[in-house]
Amino acid sequence: MKIFTLAATTAALMAGAGAAQATDFEFWYGNTGSVETAILAQCDAFNAAQSQDKVTCVGQGSYEVSMQKAIAAYRSGNAPVLIQFFDAGTLDLMLSDAVVPVQDILPDVDWANYIDGARAYYETSDGRLYSQPYNASTLLFYTNKTQLEEAGITETPKSWEEIKAAAEKLKAAGHACPFVTDGDTWRVLEQFSARHGLPIASNHNGYDGLNAEYVLNTTFVVQHLTNLVEWRNEGLVRLGVDTRAGKYADAFNAGECAMMEGSSGSYAASAKAFEGKYEVTVDMAPMYEDYERHNTLVGGASIYVMKGHSDAEVAAAKAFLDFLRQPEQQMAFTAATGYVPVTKDVLGAIEASGEADAAKYATAAIGIESMNQPRTEDSRGVRLGFYVQFREVFMEETQKAWNGEQTMQVALDNAKTRGDELLRRFEQTYQGVKLP
Amino acid sequence: MSSPTQALFANRWLPVLLVTPLALLIVIFFYVPIFQAFYWSFFLERPFGGGSIFVGWANFARVLSDPQFWEAGKRTVIFMVIGSSLAVLVPLILAVAADRQLRLSQPARNVLVWPKGVAGASIGVIFAFIFNPFAGILSPLNQWFPGIWAPGIDGTDAFIMLIAAHVWSGIPFNFVILLAGLQSLPRTMHQAAAMDGAGAWRRIFDVQLPLIMPQVFLTLVLEFTESVTSAFALVDTMTKGGPGGSTNLLVYKIYVDGFNGYDLSGAATQTAILMVFVVLLTGAQFAFLGRRINYER
Repeated sequence: MKIFTLAATTAALMAGAGAAQATDFEFWYGNTGSVETAILAQCDAFNAAQSQDKVTCVGQGSYEVSMQKAIAAYRSGNAPVLIQFFDAGTLDLMLSDAVVPVQDILPDVDWANYIDGARAYYETSDGRLYSQPYNASTLLFYTNKTQLEEAGITETPKSWEEIKAAAEKLKAAGHACPFVTDGDTWRVLEQFSARHGLPIASNHNGYDGLNAEYVLNTTFVVQHLTNLVEWRNEGLVRLGVDTRAGKYADAFNAGECAMMEGSSGSYAASAKAFEGKYEVTVDMAPMYEDYERHNTLVGGASIYVMKGHSDAEVAAAKAFLDFLRQPEQQMAFTAATGYVPVTKDVLGAIEASGEADAAKYATAAIGIESMNQPRTEDSRGVRLGFYVQFREVFMEETQKAWNGEQTMQVALDNAKTRGDELLRRFEQTYQGVKLP
Repeated sequence: MSSPTQALFANRWLPVLLVTPLALLIVIFFYVPIFQAFYWSFFLERPFGGGSIFVGWANFARVLSDPQFWEAGKRTVIFMVIGSSLAVLVPLILAVAADRQLRLSQPARNVLVWPKGVAGASIGVIFAFIFNPFAGILSPLNQWFPGIWAPGIDGTDAFIMLIAAHVWSGIPFNFVILLAGLQSLPRTMHQAAAMDGAGAWRRIFDVQLPLIMPQVFLTLVLEFTESVTSAFALVDTMTKGGPGGSTNLLVYKIYVDGFNGYDLSGAATQTAILMVFVVLLTGAQFAFLGRRINYER
């Protein structure tokens, strides 16, 4: 028994001593595939670059699962110091009282270095960044240039009108799937509304207060989605589930479909799949010709610092955040994934590297250009409560319009009604809490 | 005064001690969460904690007036009735066939039990592939009539796919129970019935089925309660509740509301309602069905 006690004491002492030498902390992320590989490479690079702190990067399989576990972990006091979370959960985290704004714990960083498009999504009303943008993406338009040329289309379509004309040509040339989408909320509602200058909800998409209401059923979005459904019936558009590949990006990458709207983050996968077979083009997401172009939103995810940790752990986490902001780290991450660097110095560094035209940076310039288009009060971002759940509602209702059970107008009316209930409940849940 | 059961243990605390580990597990992983769910259903709970507000019955009023809840409830009942009936009927037919001294009935008894070893989520993945509109067994149908089988778009197709997977996964257990019931029937009864001129079909309906009613009842009760909850793995891997919510059963809705939507109060309230429903359902089964079954032989 004595020996056991002794051993236990020694072990405890050694653990304590170890902590004094190196601070271990955890970072939870949700990505998989090539993005996960790139994240792990950054973690290894951080651990190799210095011996003072050690980050353990834990992949949770998806943003949602990562968040579920973080909620459970936070409630039982075991939350990681750093957690990556996606755009749609911004307000849920801002009001959670479980995170510290990065700008508060890292006051000396030049946060103005972040492009406005990235700041607008994650900053408070007084301009403090709540989280550090990490894997930033935006919506881009992809075409399979080889297939388009085979159908006699030499100019890459820029507007929806031109896409429709190109799709008709492709169909006439016997192409079974001219344009593919999955009807995802981020692609067909959020990014579409932002760049066409349309609001999704009142109060400037919730930025001005928790008493916002959805207005998506009254904007041009209704017409656009109705068009897509109609074009699908004409054989110009396919949904991911209509395709052999089953998923929209896979269908495009396999050469089954000729055009898609997709995240810049999927560029690396497309370029790799096309190698030696097709030529890919990426461009800003298409507009309707009657509308003036505004910015697209920053998507992807950002990193939050969670409360309830020792000063040493927070200091180590700060060092990791500093490390991730370094231009060379951001450039390597962009090159490996297609995510867009969102600090001004990195754009300069890419220019200076002489490789600005290289395929690995193909999405950087175009993505930034898209996010830097003229901003309106309604294209700052989405700041609506329980928005993750609203995305589900939107998908459910619009799927019923895709399969003909209801019209798109009815679908969006229903989405508004159900969405407003979510907003009211959010308001009630956070009674007396002010929007930061 | 010592009763026969007490005589088994020398120390009267020993049985208590032996039961404690299991009882603890049940308390920690069953009763505590259930209590928590009932507790949360009276509060508006913030996902990360801190500042939960007591709202009385407001959550119940909200859930019960939500058409989505009733839709999901309706789908759950349809799934339960069709899925469970088939999940008992199909194994019953197989068991009756395997019980007869047919050729291959010996290997069939063996093979039909195998699916028991496959986890629900794996079944979902496999069936999603089997029913894939382009590569699956129904894909020839799509070549003759384009678009006739599209579980990714058509809600009814997706529901059929879900039920097929559920029935398949229910076969082994119910098959074993029903076959055991059939095998326990004395052969003399068959012989007596045959002697009286009853054919094979007659003997099935008048001798075998009435005598294995306890087993049929057991499988039905288990299936009904199981189908309410065990469909989760299938829905999650095959359809994610879609398309258009057509396969969004109550258990899946609770998961999505609670874990993806951070609506802990709403999810807890629905859990409480679902639990009461299952308890009432089983009670009703025992009250109305169970009483008619003769357990004496």
